[in-house]
Amino acid sequence: MAAIAAGLLYGCAGRDSSGPSPLPIPSREVLPNGFRLIIHERHTSKAVALQLWVGVGGRDEAPSERGFSHFAEHMLFKGTDALEPGFVEREVEGVGGRTNAGTSFDYTYYYMLLPSARAAWGIEVLADMAFNSRFDPVELGREREVVFEEVRLGEDNPRSFLGRRLYEMAFPGYPYGFPVLGDPAELRAATRESLRGYYRRHYVPENMTLVVVGPVHAGEIRGVVARAFGGMPSTGFAREPLPGPPTTPSPRRLTLERPGRQAYVGLAWVAPALGDPEMYAVEILAHILGGSRVSRLNQTLRERARLVSTISAGYGALQGGGIVSVTAQVEPKDIEAVEAAVLEEIRGIGEHGVSRTELDRAVAASEAERVFGRETVEGLALAYGRAETVWSLAGDREHLERLRSVSAHEVQAAARRYLTGDYVRLALMPKGPGR
Amino acid sequence: MSLRSVRAAVVIGALGWLLSPPVAFASAEVIRRQLESGLTVLVQENAAAPAVAVTILVRVGGRWEREDTAGISNLLQHVLVKGTTTRSALAITDEAERMGGSLSASGDVDYSEIRGAALGRHWRELLALMADVALHPALALAEVDNERRAAANGLRNRLDQPFPFAYDALMARLFPSHPYGVPVLGRFESIARLDRDTLLAHYRRFYRGGRMVVSMSGDVRASEAAPELGRLFAAVPNGDSGPETPMPAAVAALDRLVVTRPAAQAQIMMGFLAPPIGHSDYAAVKVLQTALGGGMAGRLFAELRDRQALAYSTGAVFPARISQGFLVAHIGTAPVNAQRSEEGMRQQIERLGTERLSEAELARAKRYLLGQFDLDRRTNARLAWYAAFFEIAGVGQHFAEAYARSVEAVTVDDVQRVARTYLSAPTVVRLDPSPR
Repeated sequence: MAAIAAGLLYGCAGRDSSGPSPLPIPSREVLPNGFRLIIHERHTSKAVALQLWVGVGGRDEAPSERGFSHFAEHMLFKGTDALEPGFVEREVEGVGGRTNAGTSFDYTYYYMLLPSARAAWGIEVLADMAFNSRFDPVELGREREVVFEEVRLGEDNPRSFLGRRLYEMAFPGYPYGFPVLGDPAELRAATRESLRGYYRRHYVPENMTLVVVGPVHAGEIRGVVARAFGGMPSTGFAREPLPGPPTTPSPRRLTLERPGRQAYVGLAWVAPALGDPEMYAVEILAHILGGSRVSRLNQTLRERARLVSTISAGYGALQGGGIVSVTAQVEPKDIEAVEAAVLEEIRGIGEHGVSRTELDRAVAASEAERVFGRETVEGLALAYGRAETVWSLAGDREHLERLRSVSAHEVQAAARRYLTGDYVRLALMPKGPGR
Repeated sequence: MSLRSVRAAVVIGALGWLLSPPVAFASAEVIRRQLESGLTVLVQENAAAPAVAVTILVRVGGRWEREDTAGISNLLQHVLVKGTTTRSALAITDEAERMGGSLSASGDVDYSEIRGAALGRHWRELLALMADVALHPALALAEVDNERRAAANGLRNRLDQPFPFAYDALMARLFPSHPYGVPVLGRFESIARLDRDTLLAHYRRFYRGGRMVVSMSGDVRASEAAPELGRLFAAVPNGDSGPETPMPAAVAALDRLVVTRPAAQAQIMMGFLAPPIGHSDYAAVKVLQTALGGGMAGRLFAELRDRQALAYSTGAVFPARISQGFLVAHIGTAPVNAQRSEEGMRQQIERLGTERLSEAELARAKRYLLGQFDLDRRTNARLAWYAAFFEIAGVGQHFAEAYARSVEAVTVDDVQRVARTYLSAPTVVRLDPSPR
């Protein structure tokens, strides 16, 4: 039960590493009520991964609903008309499995990892949670306090604090500029009626996908899913479109003091959204810039200049817009020098481009991320569920090939287009005892 | 070079999923060989993904360090991957990344590790790279300086974050005058004094065949990988550096330490000395820990989070240690709820000694415990690590099956007995937030 606030730093897709054969295509079908089902039989596993993906997240919340997606996600474990609070966790753990959920800007998902013989039971329970959650007022009052503890936990971690604040600065006024965990005032004001109303509006068949990966028989799973999810009527739901692409934020610099000894700095640029034709070049650009230990920023700022303890760059591609961020842990006195050096590296790529070696390394990293991320049934289910919910399975499959086709010129052009304009800078300065 | 070959068949995944019908999956064999130097080679074939993972564990870590050398094993590991006699730091990283892989290293209390992974088609290159890193380190002065600075920053990070800060404070109280009480990163003072010569002496003393295990899992043929490992690691010096210095007995400070730090959450930790892996009580304490704080149905989570809404994160851990174990219960809570949370945690711990678990609770704890153990041994990286750890811990490649049988045999009386034996007197650390 966690907020995935840092956005979608997705892996890559396409072909298996060892040869030309593409990955097996999972079966995908749409029930008459709009519910989507993805099945991938993987008989080398004993465990089955069940993941229910819902097209609801921070981006779907009105100002008076900030944090409702995440709060509702917590409440789905707090009992249904048929199941008492705590039942799901107890039963899943009682067969050696695990269950939890996560909420992001663009999606919410629930997972169970179970012995394959329990797959049908798990699907029925997920359907019950999805349609019949009780939102008992007493449970709601307790869980609100749990969510506040989750907020406090994030406050105490400088890296998650930095990441969250960078999103707020990079997307001011845009849905991605508000924390997924929500606004304390709105959460305090949430009632059973308001939260349940939000849940009922979004938890409808045509806004859901169930992914099943493991040693199952697709025919049996289809039957169970038809009974558990197929009977719910469609509601004519259509997800509200995002309010156009986010505008480039005005250059903004913010310095915050935090207790501690270490300083952190983050720079962020608005970048293409998920599915944009330029996202492949930007993904490679971010990798070459700071996605690995051989990356330019690591080599220049950490290994040679010794200006940073850690530094990395990443590209978060969300449905409505993207973000390229560079974050570093630094000595307080070096913040300005680090910022200047980062800009210099970007300028270097913009002026001189990147090498074939760098391109190949970035593609190899993506290929490996795909292979290692999908070693387990839950890793594979996560990739399918995320692709189906925020992008497309076809896009996911073609991803690696598209990365391979990116030229050095395109990376150079992406650096010029996206990373030479306005950006935001957040510095976290220590106010504790030095050492 | 002659290889003494021992084949240990280990049925992977035979432990959990107790309610599932029997499923006939191929069992992964661990091929075990010992080189003349004493170095142990372990290989598991796993074609589930086109990838390989390799772990090199060496019996050196915090438990072999003194106050003035605290952190040396971890520092050595980090410098090892920063250059060999023929490869620069950049060349090592570059080579690993071209294989779609990674290479990293770190120290721990009972062992130190070098871990690598790559796409399966590059397994030979990965092994060659890792052998070079382990056997021909450059220990360049500039890299020693850089990694010393990084270790000091790591220590500062731990001081800056409430959870690691409280955890380190608890370890120091649980293990006063004992190597387990010192952070793996060391002390600021010791790190500042460690130089290349000290690192080199440490490396030469401990990087010997009798102390090393190289474990590989992945999309390879064991019949090809095992000889290749034998060839690449043939030059490891013989022996195990002589008899071990006995560990001092751990005597916990049974007190309550309250520290005040700027933070949003209060952190409360209760720690207890507990049996090491291989001890006859190990399985019963694992069940006890799971009933108390394992998963979302453990007592701490169900009572303190679900019923009392005191926390987002709470639970208990009981990591496997080779010479002396420990169990820690934890909760992070709002400052205003710190006292209630501490009392609630104490109450839950005491209950385990005064009331027997129900049979249903016992069954849930066992199944969850074994299920998670099973689930944790699926990726190549984890399979390679577990095989190497079983070897380093001296519990053998059949440990998983024996452990499962021991867990199954635990009764409610056993749980109550070990609760009374090990959880009677806590060492408490409480971090109370001061204004930020």
